[in-house]
Amino acid sequence: MEWIQFKLIEGYMPMQMISELVICILFFSICNSLLKRAGIGVPKFWAGILVWSFIILYLKYRIYPPIPFSVRAIYGTVSAFGIFMWVSGSQEEWDEFKRPIINVLDAKTGFTKVLRMALLVLLPIGLGGFAYNSLLPSFAEPIELRTVHPAPPATTKVHGKTYVLQTAQQPYRIDTAGKYDPEYSNAHIVDQAMGRLMKDVNSSEDNPWDPNAKGYIKHVREGGEIFFQNCHFCHGDNLNGRGLWAFAFNPIPANFTDAGTIAQLQETFVFWRVAKGGIGLPTEGFPWASVMPPWEQHLTVDEIWKVVMFEYWHTGYYPRTWD
Amino acid sequence: MKVPAVEMKSSCPLAPWLVSLVFMIGTLGLTLPAFGQEAEGFAAAKLPAPFQAEQVEAGKRVYFTKCVWCHGVNGSGDGPGADRLWPRPRNFNSGTFKIRHTASGELPLIEVDLLQTVTHGLPGSAMPSWEGILSEEQRKNVLAFVTTELVQDRSWQDEEFEELNVLQLETLTPIPPTPESVLRGSELVVENKCIECHGLEGRGDGNAFNLKNDWGFPIQPADWHKCWNFRGSRQDAYNVKNIFRTFSTGINGTPMPSFADNMTIEDRWHIANYVQSLCERDKDIDIAGGKVTEEIATALTTAQPRGIDPLTDKPKVNFVIPSKFVEGELPTDEFDERWYDERWKKEGRRIIAMGGQITHKPRNFVNRIDDIWVQSVYNETHVTLMFRWDDRSKSVLEDEVDWDPYEVNLEDYGIEEQAPGGSKFDDDPFHQDSIAAKQVSYQVFNDALAFQMPIKYQELPAPRKPRYFWGDEGFPVDIVKWTADGNLLAYEGTGWDQDLEDRDDFTEQIKLVKAEWKEGRWTVIISRPLKADYEEDAYIELGKYIPINFFVWDGHNGDVGRKMGVSAFYYLVLEPPIPAEAKWYAGLAAVGLVIVEGWILTRRSNRRKAQGTS
Repeated sequence: MEWIQFKLIEGYMPMQMISELVICILFFSICNSLLKRAGIGVPKFWAGILVWSFIILYLKYRIYPPIPFSVRAIYGTVSAFGIFMWVSGSQEEWDEFKRPIINVLDAKTGFTKVLRMALLVLLPIGLGGFAYNSLLPSFAEPIELRTVHPAPPATTKVHGKTYVLQTAQQPYRIDTAGKYDPEYSNAHIVDQAMGRLMKDVNSSEDNPWDPNAKGYIKHVREGGEIFFQNCHFCHGDNLNGRGLWAFAFNPIPANFTDAGTIAQLQETFVFWRVAKGGIGLPTEGFPWASVMPPWEQHLTVDEIWKVVMFEYWHTGYYPRTWD
Repeated sequence: MKVPAVEMKSSCPLAPWLVSLVFMIGTLGLTLPAFGQEAEGFAAAKLPAPFQAEQVEAGKRVYFTKCVWCHGVNGSGDGPGADRLWPRPRNFNSGTFKIRHTASGELPLIEVDLLQTVTHGLPGSAMPSWEGILSEEQRKNVLAFVTTELVQDRSWQDEEFEELNVLQLETLTPIPPTPESVLRGSELVVENKCIECHGLEGRGDGNAFNLKNDWGFPIQPADWHKCWNFRGSRQDAYNVKNIFRTFSTGINGTPMPSFADNMTIEDRWHIANYVQSLCERDKDIDIAGGKVTEEIATALTTAQPRGIDPLTDKPKVNFVIPSKFVEGELPTDEFDERWYDERWKKEGRRIIAMGGQITHKPRNFVNRIDDIWVQSVYNETHVTLMFRWDDRSKSVLEDEVDWDPYEVNLEDYGIEEQAPGGSKFDDDPFHQDSIAAKQVSYQVFNDALAFQMPIKYQELPAPRKPRYFWGDEGFPVDIVKWTADGNLLAYEGTGWDQDLEDRDDFTEQIKLVKAEWKEGRWTVIISRPLKADYEEDAYIELGKYIPINFFVWDGHNGDVGRKMGVSAFYYLVLEPPIPAEAKWYAGLAAVGLVIVEGWILTRRSNRRKAQGTS
C-alpha cells in the first residue's frame, strides 16, 4: 500500500488530482488497446464498470481530506454519463456493451440461469437494506459553508484612527532610502521555487537577519518577530495554517501559502482582517466561530502593518493593488 | 590554517566537554555511555565526513528563512518565538539531541535522526513537519548548516571524543504484541521504576513537577496514552519501533535514561509493546492502576488504534457528539455497562481537541490539556455528559482569591499573559522570564471544566450561533461550570468580557454525579434536565443539532478566568429511537424492485418471442 502513502502536495492538489486521473485513464486505454491487439480484449461492459469503479474508489480513498458523499455522487453520475457515451458511440459498440446484460436476461446457459436467479433475489434484498439504512436517523457532521473573503467595509477604525481601505498605504513598504516603493519590496520577497527561500542570504537587502538590513527588509524581520510571538500557534511555522492548535479549531486557520488567501487580497484588506479579527467579520464570515483575535487588542497599528508585510515576504506573494 | 584552531582548543581545555560529561553523569544517572563497548542491539559506526562548504552555505539560506524565528541567530534556541513556547526550541550549541538511534549521550545520526526530525517534526512541541515544504535536499542542507555552524561544543569530526554506536533497529525483529508480552511489559515498567515518573497508569503524572532538562527548564514525563504527542513518533504514532528506539537510546538532555545497558532486547520489546498498547484506542480500557491482568492485557491487544488525521497527525475529530437513550436511572460512574454496549458501534466517546485561548487577554500560550473525551446518554427527563481528560496534577485552590467565581476580567487582579520576550534575551542563558522557566511556579488555581450551549438555539437561523466565547449580547449562552473545589454552577454568558450571571435556580437543577481525579485523569459526570426554562436555558430536544463547546482549566498551569483551553463548536445530538416506518419503506422498496424485475423479464421474453416469430 505504499502508493496510498504518496502524499498530495499542498497547493498543487487539484492539478495533481486531475493529472493522476488522466494518467490512469490513459494507462487503461493503452492496456485495453494492447490487449485487443493481442486478441484478448476486455469486453466493453467490463471495461466500463472497471473504469467507473476506479473513479469512485479514487474519489473515496485517494483524496484527502475526504469529500462528502453528495459531491462524490455528483462526480460518480457525471463519470457514469461519460462512460455511457463512450460505450454507446456506435450501434456495434452499444450492442457489444449490452450483450452480457441480454445474455443474463435470456439465461440460455446453466451459468447465466444461476446468475439470473441470484441477481433476481439479491438485488431487492440489497435495495431493501440500502433503503433501511438510509432511513435510519443519521447524524453526520453538517456542512456549513462560510464566505472566506467577505466584502470589506469602506473604512476601519483602529486605535482611534480611521483608515480608508481604498487609500490607506502600508507605511513600511519602503526602499533603503525610506521612500514608499512597492516595486522595490516586491523584488526582495522570497523566491517562489520549492521551499520559498530568501533570494540571497548574504545580501542585506534580501536577508531580514542581516545586521545591515535597512528599510523594507528590516521591517520584515520586525513583522516576523511579531508573527512568531503571536500568530504561529494557529497559522503555523510555515504560514500554512497548520499550527499547534490548528486541529482544535473549525474552520481551520487560513493557509497563507495557498494562492487563494493573501495573494488574492489587498494589503489593506488583510490589515482590516488582522485588526478586527473573527469578531469583526460580517455574518457571512461566521464571526461567532472564529478564534482569530481582534489584534488591535494585542498589537499596535505599526505592528499590524509589519506582520502583514512579513506574511507577504515569507510566502513570496504580492498584495493585490487597485490597478 | 589549522594551527589557530588547535591553539584555541588548548587555551580552553575541554571546558565544554567536562560540562557536558558532568551533565550526563548527573542527569542520566543510570547509564554512563560505555565508550568502546556496545550495548545489546547496537553496532559501532563511523563518524560522518564533514559537509561541503557550498552545502553549509545553502543550508544557511534555509535556516535564516525558516528556522531562525524560533531557534535564534546563534542556534541557542532563543529566537523571537522562544519565550512563549514550552517546550522551548532546541538550543543546538551543545549538540544535545533528543531523538536518536545512537547510544545515550552520543551525537545523533545527521542523515537519519536529524533528517527524520526535520521531515516529521516533533509532535507535542511547536516543531512542525517540513516535508512537502522543503525539498529533501533543502532539509539536508539546513542540517549541514546546523551541525557545522551552530553545534559548537561538540563535533561530528572529533575522532578523539566522539563515537557512534547505532541501534540496529531495522535488523531487530519486534516481539509481537501478544497479551503475554503486554502483561510482562506491565510488570517491567514497575520493576524498572518507569512508573515513578510516568505514573501508575502511564499518564505522565508521576514525578511531574520536579524534572528539569540540561538547561534547567522544567519538563514533564510523557503521557503514554497520547502516542501522537511522542516527540519521536515520526508521524507514525502507533509504531512500536519508535517506542523501542526511544527506550533503548534514552532522551539526551532529559532525565529519561537509556535502558540498553541493563535490559535485554526482549524485555525492551515487552515494555514497548505495553506502552504502545496504552495509547488511546477505539475502546477506553481501564487498566486498574497498572495492575494489568490477563483479561486487561487481552482487551488492550484486541482494541484497534484510533484513526490519525494525516493533516494534523492527531486523532481524527468528529464534530457530532451522539447521545443515546437509556432505560431507567442514568449512569452514576464510568463503569456502567451502558457507556460501552454494542449500540455505540465502535465507541461512544468523542475526542474534543482543545487549543489555548488566544483570542483575548490574558492569552494562554501553553495549554497543558490538549484534549478531553466526552460521552453522553439521556433518559426521559435528563441528559448526562461524562468528561474524562488527562491532567498530570489534581489542582484545588487552597488560598482565598480576591475575586468572585462569576468574575472574568481578572487582569485587574494581576492575572497576566506571558510577555513576548524574544531575541532581546540573548544574553540571559536561563531565560527566567520565559514561559518555559515559569512552568512549575504558577499560583495554583482550581482545575475546571465548562460547557456552553445557546439559549433558544431553536430560534437561531442556521448556521448562526452565539459567539464561541461565552456568547454575545444578542445570543446569550447557558454555561455549566465545574471547579475542582466541588462546585457546579450555572451561568448565563453574554460576551467574553462580561461577568457571568449567576443562575441559582438552574444551579439547583444540575447535578454533579461524579468528580474524581485518579492516576492522572479526571472523570467528571454532570447531569442536567432536558427541559427547564425555555427563556433562560438551552432547551434540549431530540434529534436537534445543539451547538456546544467546551472550556478546560489546569490549575497548576495557572489557568483561571480567560486563561484556559477552549474547543471549537461541536454538536450534541440526542439520537431519537429508530422509526418503525424504516422497516416498512425498506420492504416496499424491495417489493417494488421485484415488480420491476418481473416487468423487464416479461418484456424481454415477449420481444424474443416476437423476434422468433418474425
